[in-house]
Amino acid sequence: MSNFLTKRHLNRRTFLQGMGAAMSLPLLDAMVPAAASAAQQRTVAPIRLGFTYVPNGVIMEGWTPAAEGAAYELPHILKPLAGVKDDIIVATELAQLNARALGDGGGDHARASAVFLTGVHPNKTDGADIRAGQSVDQIAAEHLGRQTRFPSLELTVEPGKLTGSCDTGYSCAYSNSISWRTETTPNPGEGNPRAVFDRLFGGTAKDLSPEAREKRRQYRGSILDFVLEDARKLQGQLGPTDRRKMEEYLYAIRMVERQLEHNEQQTAAGLEKPDVPESAPEDYAEYARLMFDLQILAYQTDQTRVTTFMMGREGSNRAYREVDVKGGHHELSHHLGDTAKIASLQDINRYHMEQFAYFLDRMKNTEDGDGSLLDHSLIVYGSGISDGNSHNHANLPVLIAGRASGAVAPGRHIKFAKDTPMANLYLNMLEYVGCPTENLGDSDGKLNYLGEMSA
Amino acid sequence: MNIQSMQEGIWRGRRRRWVTGVGFLVLGATLVGEGCQSVPTTGDASAAKGASPNADVMAGFFSTHCYDCHGAERQKGGYDFQTLMETDGRITDTALMELVMRVVSTGEMPPGKRPQPEPEEVTALLDALRHDQEMQIAAIAPDPGRVTVRRLNRMEYNNTVRDLLGVESQPSDAFPPDDTGYGFDTIGDVLTLSPLLAEKYLDAAEGIAKEAVTREVAIYDKSMAMHRKVLVCNHAREAHTERCADRIIRELTPRAYRRPATREELDQIRGFYQLAIDNGDTFYDGIELVVQALLVSPHFLFRIEEEKALEDPEHEYRVNNYEYASRLSYFLWSSMPDDELMACAQDGTIWHPRTLRDQVRRMLRDPRAASLAESFGGQWLEIRNLAVADPDPEKFPEFDDGLRLAMAEETNLFFGSIIAEDRSVLDFIDADYTYVNEPLAALYGIDGIVGPAFQRVPVNREERGGILGQASVLTVTSYPARTSPVLRGVWILDKILAAEPPPPPPDVPALEEAQVDPTATFREKLEAHRDNASCASCHDRIDPLGFGLENYGPIGGWRADADGKPVDSSGVLPDGRTFAGPGELKKILLERKTDFARCLTEKMLTYGLGRGLEDYDAPAVAAIVGELEKNDYRFSALIYEIVRSLPFRKQRGEPEVS
Repeated sequence: MSNFLTKRHLNRRTFLQGMGAAMSLPLLDAMVPAAASAAQQRTVAPIRLGFTYVPNGVIMEGWTPAAEGAAYELPHILKPLAGVKDDIIVATELAQLNARALGDGGGDHARASAVFLTGVHPNKTDGADIRAGQSVDQIAAEHLGRQTRFPSLELTVEPGKLTGSCDTGYSCAYSNSISWRTETTPNPGEGNPRAVFDRLFGGTAKDLSPEAREKRRQYRGSILDFVLEDARKLQGQLGPTDRRKMEEYLYAIRMVERQLEHNEQQTAAGLEKPDVPESAPEDYAEYARLMFDLQILAYQTDQTRVTTFMMGREGSNRAYREVDVKGGHHELSHHLGDTAKIASLQDINRYHMEQFAYFLDRMKNTEDGDGSLLDHSLIVYGSGISDGNSHNHANLPVLIAGRASGAVAPGRHIKFAKDTPMANLYLNMLEYVGCPTENLGDSDGKLNYLGEMSA
Repeated sequence: MNIQSMQEGIWRGRRRRWVTGVGFLVLGATLVGEGCQSVPTTGDASAAKGASPNADVMAGFFSTHCYDCHGAERQKGGYDFQTLMETDGRITDTALMELVMRVVSTGEMPPGKRPQPEPEEVTALLDALRHDQEMQIAAIAPDPGRVTVRRLNRMEYNNTVRDLLGVESQPSDAFPPDDTGYGFDTIGDVLTLSPLLAEKYLDAAEGIAKEAVTREVAIYDKSMAMHRKVLVCNHAREAHTERCADRIIRELTPRAYRRPATREELDQIRGFYQLAIDNGDTFYDGIELVVQALLVSPHFLFRIEEEKALEDPEHEYRVNNYEYASRLSYFLWSSMPDDELMACAQDGTIWHPRTLRDQVRRMLRDPRAASLAESFGGQWLEIRNLAVADPDPEKFPEFDDGLRLAMAEETNLFFGSIIAEDRSVLDFIDADYTYVNEPLAALYGIDGIVGPAFQRVPVNREERGGILGQASVLTVTSYPARTSPVLRGVWILDKILAAEPPPPPPDVPALEEAQVDPTATFREKLEAHRDNASCASCHDRIDPLGFGLENYGPIGGWRADADGKPVDSSGVLPDGRTFAGPGELKKILLERKTDFARCLTEKMLTYGLGRGLEDYDAPAVAAIVGELEKNDYRFSALIYEIVRSLPFRKQRGEPEVS
């Protein structure tokens, strides 16, 4: 084995010289954590951040608790959270006012998802110059992701609409993603659970012998070096926009290169892994729970500390027949006061919550260092729209789950000042994970009251 | 270009799309306002300035019929033609011009309760406006615009590995969906490349390389070299040598890059063969590694077009021969150029009009042109969304995956017949035939069709014929459990008439459900909201078109009754014209041939170029539409005019952002 490794490096270097390229060795720093996995090294459990998005708003009458503070009762939609009531904060009056039209006319759905984690009013365009802001998960991923194989994972149960307009005048990119790696690069989710599983646990390589695996890694490394060099050369021959496209390619290839240097099997042994089907389950609950399971697995194996999950594309018109709702979700959300439609919407809202409760229950029951996974996490659940009928972006439905290793004191309903920027919450989160940030979107300071002392 | 002017450009483009979807704002028009960077014009710039030579005609019409509501005293809807005529002596905003032409020609304005203009007055006004519009378009400086480098989308990737390597396993089906812009997945700006996709590229490359080489090893002894795409040596299988590897690399690399490869590039690729051999691998392993590397190269994954204007961003230049060949092949085939097209690129004849015409004709007759129907058609008509259509299974138990596929196939075959037979594009609106198999025939109530194979059948034009009578279109414009005249009406305006209505205002007033009889039909309820003036201005245009299709149920079956009442598929257009049923609706749509021709041209040009259209594309669009009309609306004329248009042949430089 050690022979092979020596040979490997020699060959690779010889190969590079043969190409006449003056190559840096960008992999060296990445190899260090690969050799001694972060999971083994750490003494204190890291904080994980998760973001779960639901489209089309919720029926706020069924969501907002009547009482503030710790002595509140879970309203209808939140009832499934009974088992984790002491681990969540119901946050009222947070707003994403940059999702308002602000002179841009229709398109509240596209704006709602684009603003949700960025706090930035997106540029209205059907294609050219797609722009919002870097999202909170990606700021955290830049920081936390250095220690893990994947800086972040983006998941969805409803991959993008296939064609046509998603929301008047807005490219579908805005409705399909809540995560934005940069202000011009949306980060759409993977919708195939099998593909997520294979990514985490070796996929096509897992049946290979260690030797064959190693050789494959070497070859892939050489291919990546080659294409990186090609793309760099191309940079000099392109105009500014094309160069940006090539930078996107370079970044993507570098990320793959980094993953290659982490051993994908590192800490997976002995974990209970879900039985992952080849394609997405038809049943919504089964599908969503699988995606939650995969997030837990990724946290447990410390392959990533940041996840985002869309429980539906913004503006989704899915028919939730699992709970006997025949109309499409978006179609129903413009209920015009129709009580039957409102009841159906509550059924959908609660159904989503049942799946999220499953996730939190499992997080709470998963050991992690000196506590549970939920103790060491902060998971935000919400929508960029409160009332789907009028496309309101104030007083959003927001839950904050977990304790962020003690930084947050859950078990309360907190009513913030009217129209408090949701982005303020993100500043708190970034501070908890050791990545203090001054501004994010329309933030105007951190939230008070989340920690025990200030409650 | 500074940021401000860029933003204005975007704003203009958006405005153009929103106001009517058809008008092109003239550069420097009043809408842009102060601070707009002037754009050099080469046409007769004076044509777009000063009073119109037809000012008298316009002022006469407007003062008689419009000033009362849209003049200095009152500006209903914010329109004041009096001030406009008195200060500018013309309508400079072409979107407004389009709007005026539309509402006057369709009789929307003046409203029915006001005295109506004589037909001659209307004709004179429309002629005057059309003349002005032509002058304004003529005054726009020719500008090819700039296309952002395009990554192969999923269909292009599948087709390209099929044509490059003979691999037909459709590996890109496992890739994340491509984002779309302007309704299409060919738009360079939105074709992003995530780390996830890069991982998939690497995995796919490995699988494809193995599949390609394994397949050719298996057939090697039985096949001639010319029938193999990778193992192109002539000698016996046992005799593979480094020289053979060299030859493979020399032939495969330019095909993968879709242009000649440099010596340095060939050396790089050869390095992979050598790497495998040095590690003790076989000849075939070495070739596989070569193929893998090629498939992850940016020269394969992107359609790179060499920037020739780095020093002079204002410069516009013709793309090179090979880039043009790729523009053609990806437009018509969603795939790489074949040997014949590459030969035309190599000797430069690809630019000769006769060769170009022959090549276009040849390419349209080639089976690969099915991709144009599937990709362009699937997106223009939005039938790609059939894959996620979700009709209520209780109401429509017959809707299974077989029927879902059959619906898409009908439209693909129909589109394919228009391409292959070079039919008139007006056949999209109305035709006397379609394609059905047994499940689809059952849905349509056509007897005597047995089995899963498709047959071309004549149809009764009152019921079927043309895309509006196809289950695919009718299903993707419906909700799971009911039809939506609004969605269907908007669909017709957007896909046929290039007149997509603006989005509803943000404060949509709630339907006063209480005032509507609970036993009313859905149509009656929907009509109630048109009593509200702010709804009526758009829904008077949208809803009647959708009502015309009410005889088609949510999955496109014909129905005489719905919810226990007879279907009312009559409509009243804003000009007071009435129709009953889809047959008459189609006749009315066919009267608007030019609108349809422009609509199709705009969509097809967007798709083919890979960018959204801008103000400066107006002359190109007008020229294509003009030629299309001259050539009896033949499909091949549309394609030929697009590929020889300025934006398709050329590229403009791009300034550095300071």
